[in-house]
Amino acid sequence: MDFSELSHQSEIRDSLDKILSEHCSQECLKEYDSNFKHDENLLSLLSSNGFLGLGLNKKYGGSGEDLYDLGILFERLGYHAAPLSLSGCLVDVAQTIQKFSNKESSKIILSSIIAGEIYTSAILEPFNQDPENPITTAIIEDDQLIISGTKYLSEISSIAKSILISANSNEGVLLVLVDSDQVQTTELTSTANSPLFKVELDSVRVDRESIIHEKGRGLEALRYLIQINMVMRSYIALGVTEKMTSLIAGYTSEREQFGRVIGTFQAVSHRAADCFIELECLRLVNQQASINLNTSLDCENDALVSKIWAGNACHKISYSAQHLHGGMGVDKDYVLWRYCLLAKECELINGSSSQNIDRLGENLTTNQ
Amino acid sequence: MLIQLNQKQIKLQNELQEYFENLITPALKSELNQPEYFEGGGPEFKKAMRTMGSDGWIGLSWKKEFGGKELSSIEQYIFVETVMRTGFPFPFLTTESVGPMIAEHGSEWAKEEIATKILKGELIFGIGYSEPNSGTDLASLQTKAIKQADGYLINGQKMWTSLANFSDYIWLATRTDFEAKNHKGISMFIVPTDDPGFSMSAINTLGDVRTNATFYDNIHVPETHLVGELNQGWSLITSQLNLERLALVNHGPVEELYKDVLKTARSTKINKDKYLSDLSWVKHNFAQVHSGIEALKLICWKQTWIMESGQLNMAEASVAKVYGSEFFIEAYRLMMEIMGELSILKNDSELTILNARLERMYRTASILTFGGGTNEVQRDIIAMAGLLMPRTR
Repeated sequence: MDFSELSHQSEIRDSLDKILSEHCSQECLKEYDSNFKHDENLLSLLSSNGFLGLGLNKKYGGSGEDLYDLGILFERLGYHAAPLSLSGCLVDVAQTIQKFSNKESSKIILSSIIAGEIYTSAILEPFNQDPENPITTAIIEDDQLIISGTKYLSEISSIAKSILISANSNEGVLLVLVDSDQVQTTELTSTANSPLFKVELDSVRVDRESIIHEKGRGLEALRYLIQINMVMRSYIALGVTEKMTSLIAGYTSEREQFGRVIGTFQAVSHRAADCFIELECLRLVNQQASINLNTSLDCENDALVSKIWAGNACHKISYSAQHLHGGMGVDKDYVLWRYCLLAKECELINGSSSQNIDRLGENLTTNQ
Repeated sequence: MLIQLNQKQIKLQNELQEYFENLITPALKSELNQPEYFEGGGPEFKKAMRTMGSDGWIGLSWKKEFGGKELSSIEQYIFVETVMRTGFPFPFLTTESVGPMIAEHGSEWAKEEIATKILKGELIFGIGYSEPNSGTDLASLQTKAIKQADGYLINGQKMWTSLANFSDYIWLATRTDFEAKNHKGISMFIVPTDDPGFSMSAINTLGDVRTNATFYDNIHVPETHLVGELNQGWSLITSQLNLERLALVNHGPVEELYKDVLKTARSTKINKDKYLSDLSWVKHNFAQVHSGIEALKLICWKQTWIMESGQLNMAEASVAKVYGSEFFIEAYRLMMEIMGELSILKNDSELTILNARLERMYRTASILTFGGGTNEVQRDIIAMAGLLMPRTR
């Protein structure tokens, strides 16, 4: 048993904080409140400092396969509300290829991702509660696939080189890399102004070679992708809620009413303490899930627990933070509001707490 | 970072499970079903404690000089977790919180006579902190110990002295300096319950757990019974309470109950082709309990790991206490909902489920939110030590 971070992990955290605090000041973030929220310069800075290779094997130029390292990256991106959406690229594409592809061409992609080239995924579908069973179809014709369907909430699709698509076929679930110029992408405006897209595939033809996994392992790969995405996005939630909790502590320790600092009122300090507890629980379940995913390709219940805690923490801490800040909490000149919007996005993407409780309950009461 | 038990620890867990299956005989089981022995204290209980002691289980992480095995606190936690899963009323406050304090701060006599005997399963302690007018504001306590030529003379009254009815000693907080500020005039003593000046009256509680008011009438103890320095008792109290808070919220019993309720729900038919566990709201309740237990387990493991490095952090001990105690109440409710009306039946009908454990456990859960330091004070501590907020007034 060891809950301590290794020295290289604390270093990752520190140097990320240094870069991100410089590039995610209020002034910088304002730029992206109504523009395409993607900071190219920041991305290349992360790349040149080796941060896009976290969680990837050294043979591709990465820093090693520990998923906790990658978790730190997402946690810090969340903490600084960084204008970068990288879970499709660094998690879905990179991690799934690393674990499930044995093609040289796919492995080359990993090196180019580390170098800063953008890939993404398009997995979620409107009104499909079960992403393991895509509505999108792939018809297999000789050595070609014809893919049709509609995906949404795909990150930065307009600037991605290719997009990893999940589809159902008569050979079961497939994960296929499709060139982005073969699909139609439409930007969706959403609550936190994140660069999310609708991706439409209208009988898109690709080579069978574009399937990233071995024959028959599509469902396993997709399940892994969904789980690791849940966990890494829960790390974003961790960073977001950690920031909100520290804002609560800071603000209520300075704001005075009735001649005293409001943090000295028990009603205030106790609500802050509850945020601290929630945060600690989220941190621990995230750590457990990411560590278990290091050694197993299927940790669905751990991932669900992580996501359930993330959803609940985002909701509770966001509203506590807004409430305890009073009007400051909603003032767009103060820092908090962006985190509250991000919290709602984190809470709902990959399924709400209620939905995931349902799924977890199903797992627990059936064959486990 | 490594958040799982290693092979050796898993082996230990299995070994202990097997050990307790043999230790908990039908005779012990039937003794523990008698209300006066719910918390232990009967002859079979005492026999089992001594067996555990002589088999070397009680002090896994203790130093060899006391008879311990010097394993890590994780092994110690596994031991307590496994024994608590069996439902045996293991006196963990004696072994996990008072014992280590005496081993570290006691006089030579206390180390030799008391600490080693705790490890042998031969001694049980009650804790004498609260008084009729000193509960949450513990530092205002008034029980006094007056210095005499050959020791101290103790007079006063304590409340909620659980286990005093079969304890050998009381771990007693007293006032020894009446001029100093509240926290600075407190000293800790080991007080024998066979002293003629010691008496008690029973307090029966809603959970059918007996506790006691205890009275100290001109009890004389020698100098060797003082633990730690004179007037430095407060830090022993807070250290003891940090250890106590972790022991109180051990995740073993609630997880064991969860497993049993799940098993029951999966085998209970509600009509000819449906089981209780097929109902969606039942599944939801199980998922809520499971995700809560996962967090509790990790909090406890982390605390235990921190203890190993000797730096039990105040905020984290309080997080464990608040989260654990409030989660227990919620978990019992969710599990009782699953079993519905059946879960209010006591242990005397053929309809009784799970040996009426749900019925008993929900009644005892409430004491943990205020016992061991009320959760309001814990939240004050979290805000102060965890979030660096100003002290609450």
